[in-house]
Amino acid sequence: MNVRRSGLTMPVVTARFVDNAWRRSCDFVIIDLEDSVPQHLKAHARTLVKDAIASVSKGGAEAFVRINHDSMEEDVEASVWPGLKRIRYPKTEHAHEVHRLDALITRYEGARGIEPGTIEIDPSIETALGVANIFEIAAASARIREFGAATGGYDLSRDLGIEMFVDFDQFVYPRGEAELAARTLGLGVRTAPFVANTTGSVSDADRALRQAEAARKCGLRLGTGGLNPAVVENHNLGLTPTEEELRDAQWVLEQYRVVEESGAAWKTIGERVIDRYEAARAKELLEWAAACAERNREKAEAVARVKAQA
Amino acid sequence: MTDEITEGGAAGAPSKRQSWLIVPPSKRDEIEQAARSGADVLVLDLVELLPDREKSSARNVFRDAIAVAKAAGAEVFAQIDPSSAETDLRACVWPGLAGVVISRAESAAQVGEIGTLLDRLEMERGIAGGTVHLVAALETARGNHAAHDILHASHRMFGATLGRADLVMDLRPEPSGEIHLMAYLMQRLIIITGTVGVTPLGAWWRAPDRGLLATPENTYNAAHRGRAIGFKGAMCLRPEQVEPLNRAFGG
Repeated sequence: MNVRRSGLTMPVVTARFVDNAWRRSCDFVIIDLEDSVPQHLKAHARTLVKDAIASVSKGGAEAFVRINHDSMEEDVEASVWPGLKRIRYPKTEHAHEVHRLDALITRYEGARGIEPGTIEIDPSIETALGVANIFEIAAASARIREFGAATGGYDLSRDLGIEMFVDFDQFVYPRGEAELAARTLGLGVRTAPFVANTTGSVSDADRALRQAEAARKCGLRLGTGGLNPAVVENHNLGLTPTEEELRDAQWVLEQYRVVEESGAAWKTIGERVIDRYEAARAKELLEWAAACAERNREKAEAVARVKAQA
Repeated sequence: MTDEITEGGAAGAPSKRQSWLIVPPSKRDEIEQAARSGADVLVLDLVELLPDREKSSARNVFRDAIAVAKAAGAEVFAQIDPSSAETDLRACVWPGLAGVVISRAESAAQVGEIGTLLDRLEMERGIAGGTVHLVAALETARGNHAAHDILHASHRMFGATLGRADLVMDLRPEPSGEIHLMAYLMQRLIIITGTVGVTPLGAWWRAPDRGLLATPENTYNAAHRGRAIGFKGAMCLRPEQVEPLNRAFGG
């Protein structure tokens, strides 16, 4: 199980961001060749990716790269190096784009000694056409293991003239289409329940915590990432089960054992129903908590190794 | 398929199937109580409300259960598990059965097979061909994804519901109180049932209620909202939830 609760997008051309990324406690870091890199620096940016992959993952984060929609070939060639876990492809509109990306990744995996098929593809859905073709896109490659749409929403809002910072859920349809596709295909669901952000702040740690907690309580496990280091710790925290939830999950499983032994399908205890659905949720929660603990341990060990070498 | 159907959907369906109460077939006293609740339809359930070890005895008493359930005038449907479709249908297709709810319906092929089994059982058991209607419970992502094909797959199709999708798909409340993804799934189902010409059935309880425990008042509110979204009736799990469903969907 991949634990991907928190992540930051880093402009690859800004050395101080890239050099410090490993200190941020991220589960993943997205090395960006796209929106945060000005056009005249694109060629230079490509030369920096290989070292950036090694640098951002020193603290145990997984390294992803966001490439440009219109320079797929050059960007993939610059990005597929050992240590890369995933390529995000912006403004995906057709399944054939994913097929082409898949073939390119396969070529460089082979040439650079990377186990075939291990690098993931993350197609971003950011336009009306992408939403219209969403199922075919999500189904276009075995490299797609998680899927979501409009989790940030900036590009989709621009494409369609939708306002960004409103106090109601303006993306019910595209998000629903993405999630139904992901679930139908058995992919990880990357989405976020609606929590209003009317200011547009990307560094509001309190809001980040509320958002991540709401996601956890919905049973969602994958973080949608962020832009400012201030939100990382609260994304990690908010998506990790609390001690109280763990105790409750254990209690539910004990009660369900009693239900099973009694030969009933369910029972109520006060306001609670105990049945196979609640038992399944409890079991999943305990597994997720164990995976989070393991991930935290891996990151702490990686950070300790770097500090010991310094 | 009969000639007079142009849009799909079961022919000659009675208009009033608004309140549907789900009951375990093995508990005679619960069926008698349910039959007095005023429900338009009693759904004798072979899937959700009984543990696995009781399923075969529930199948054995199913024919009697139909008679008990019909005594107070309600129509009787059976809820079956597609993974044991033939066994379940053999147990429940008897004169007096108005229809079958297919739990976790996932594909047109599955509905087609169930239709073929129904053709055969109706013939064997002296029931007029096409009597037994179908309701597809779209409780999984695959089922919802394939909703259009599923609802088109049989001329017996009367309606569709999201059933217990919140539990089967593990959808939980968002901070707004809405159940995650449910606004989308409900609106999608209303559009698809509208294009196919079958009846959408649903009422959605908001947090913190689960349908099993919802009070009559919360049931009314859920049904009222369901009707406002476009649903034409709903299923419930407790006799005291029937009256609020009738009140919300009636008139």
